[in-house]
Amino acid sequence: MAPTPPIAPIPVSAARNHAGTVELNAVRKCYDDFVAVDNISFSIQPGKIYGLLGPNGAGKTSTLRMIIGIIVPDSGQITVFGEPLTRQHKDRFGYLPEERGLYKKMKVLEHVLFLAQLKGLSAAEALKRAHTWFERFELSAWTGKKVEELSKGMQQKVQFISAILHEPELIVMDEPFSGLDPASTVLLKDVLLELAKSGKTILFSTHGMDQAEKLCHSICLINHGRAVLEGDLNQIKASYGNCNVQIKYDGDARFLHESRLVESFNDYGNYVEVRLAPGADTQELLKLASAGARLSKFEVMEPSLEEIFIDAVGKPAVSQPAVSKPAVRKPEMSQPNA
Amino acid sequence: MRNLWLIVKREYLERVRTRSFLILTLLLPAIMTVVMILPAKLATMGEKAQHLVVVTSTPQFGEMVRQRFLAASAATDLDDEATPETSSPKQPPEPEYTIDVDANPTEAERAVLRDKVTSQQIDGFLWLSDDAIASGKVTWTSRRTPFFSDRSRLSETLNRIIQFERLSKNGITSDQADALLKPIKIEAVRMERGREAKGSGGGKFLEVVVMVMLLYMAVLFYGISVMRSVLEEKNSRILEVLLSSASSTQLMTGKLLGVGAVGLTQILVWVVMAVAFALPAMAMQPSFAELQIPLGVLVAFAVFFLLGYLLYSTMYAAVGAITTTEQEGQQLQFLIIVPLVLSVFMLAPVVRNPDSPAMVWMSMVPFFAPVVMYARIVVQTPPLWQIALSLLLLIATIAGLLVMCARIYRIGILIYGKRPNLPEILKWLKYAKA
Repeated sequence: MAPTPPIAPIPVSAARNHAGTVELNAVRKCYDDFVAVDNISFSIQPGKIYGLLGPNGAGKTSTLRMIIGIIVPDSGQITVFGEPLTRQHKDRFGYLPEERGLYKKMKVLEHVLFLAQLKGLSAAEALKRAHTWFERFELSAWTGKKVEELSKGMQQKVQFISAILHEPELIVMDEPFSGLDPASTVLLKDVLLELAKSGKTILFSTHGMDQAEKLCHSICLINHGRAVLEGDLNQIKASYGNCNVQIKYDGDARFLHESRLVESFNDYGNYVEVRLAPGADTQELLKLASAGARLSKFEVMEPSLEEIFIDAVGKPAVSQPAVSKPAVRKPEMSQPNA
Repeated sequence: MRNLWLIVKREYLERVRTRSFLILTLLLPAIMTVVMILPAKLATMGEKAQHLVVVTSTPQFGEMVRQRFLAASAATDLDDEATPETSSPKQPPEPEYTIDVDANPTEAERAVLRDKVTSQQIDGFLWLSDDAIASGKVTWTSRRTPFFSDRSRLSETLNRIIQFERLSKNGITSDQADALLKPIKIEAVRMERGREAKGSGGGKFLEVVVMVMLLYMAVLFYGISVMRSVLEEKNSRILEVLLSSASSTQLMTGKLLGVGAVGLTQILVWVVMAVAFALPAMAMQPSFAELQIPLGVLVAFAVFFLLGYLLYSTMYAAVGAITTTEQEGQQLQFLIIVPLVLSVFMLAPVVRNPDSPAMVWMSMVPFFAPVVMYARIVVQTPPLWQIALSLLLLIATIAGLLVMCARIYRIGILIYGKRPNLPEILKWLKYAKA
């Protein structure tokens, strides 16, 4: 296993038993001088939902394209279903690209049938399945229309149906939720959960952390082409620790200055958010706080994926409530005139 | 194979079903018909028979001039080299002239005729008095200067009449005079595989030009169509979806064959229409019999047309693969058009001298072969090995281009935004082996 330096202190190789539906081993891809994917390794277990997370341009799409064999890695190995990736595996994939990838002038039903037949389905079988899915996604009235007459969201649904109609064992999706309204998002999420339950392996990329947090069993966070965090989502969260505490108090606030326990805090007046020092015990803080002040709330917060990501990437973000007020944080060099 | 078939089918059906295909298929023959017929119609429409007066010293001579003149005007195309013996059985055309004879060569009559010309009662008069003939100078008076063709015909006819007249004055009978003045005609005979083949260079040239025109049209219409559809696939991300199911070679081959079939369908419709309309009319013309095309030439036509079409469409696909927008693609188009145009320029030398070393080698160059080798076959069947070599090179080039194109297509597609330069393309070719 090649070392991946910036990986956070989590049990990276917990699930690395080479039984995965997809295995990436030290995969690297450059475009000229630009390193799009740098030494990424991960493993996706059968029947799991795996999230590939990261900001725009992190290398998510390149990674997905390598997994479905559109592009070839410069170095490293990719195995799917336990074998090195070849063209023979193509019919066992379903792929949903980031932007709509449909012929605009083609009729919806014909398009879905065309793509399904390319995946080896017979026309009759494809037709039968397509109608079930069109109904489910409320597209039945649109099957005779040209793709370009559909809204973006509807095109996205057509694209999704095309990706799963041949019932692939591995479904690879690039930003599947982009452009969907809330109702469709819920529908898609339900379908994905069903598919996973029926044993399909699902891999999708997103830059929105909430979807991933709700759906994924495991994730890989990438930034600038490198894996920043990888593994089981619950384990990641656990290893990140419950380091934030929200306290509502009335009285003596001296406990906030106990540097042994409190790394930084953010006082909102009504309540205070405390970031614990490494190794600090929440119970000790509770005792200390209750000694001097009257507490109406003491809640240990689970870190959100977004916080974890921002922390791992080392880049403070504006939308981060608990740890981002520079006034109480440790001085940060990379932040001029905040 | 199944994928290839699916792709060909889709490309074909999606195009044939469009309204623009239907319109183009029906409209182009209509436009061509109009373009070919209209100018001729327009030229003759306002033209009524010209009213001429011939002024001679004796009515007999005047009458003879009139006869000769009308006969000459009926046989306008007498000297057309392409159809040497066909002028006589032609149907008599509508009379171009009405000719009156005036046997009153006086100055007063000349003044009257001038007035008549001015007042448009007659279109012109010819002063052919004995004095004028003796002096060798004859005047033709009309409102407009005659066209060059009118004038040379006039003078030729007049010369013959006067030569005839002079001979008969010297005691030579009219039959003898005819025999003396009989013009000589040249008949072209080609040796074709040891047999004499009649038929003229003009007809051969026509066979080649028809092929070139069809090739040119097909390449222009459908080459651009190939390029456009490659660009469409690049610009929407349909290609990613397709590549996750099929190989880029399948996609490229399928596209070329599908679009190619559309072009062939259209040309077939046009040929059927043309034959249906033109055959009855052409069959009436005896010259049509001479245009019979040997089976070998027809086969050569089909083979070289198809391969040429495939070659040039592949080049269009390559242009589509390395560009990102249609404008860019159209700028690069000249790279494709240039060899096609060059091969058209080679037509004249090929037809004149099909065995010259230059033409032999040009017919081996794949980009010129469809036109040049075909032209050589039409004019004079070249040695079999030359045809075989030319075909082999052509097919190899198409296959090579196709593979190259599929690679560029596959890689170029995934790099958005800028046109690759040559070193980059070469690099892609090297590492896009999968």
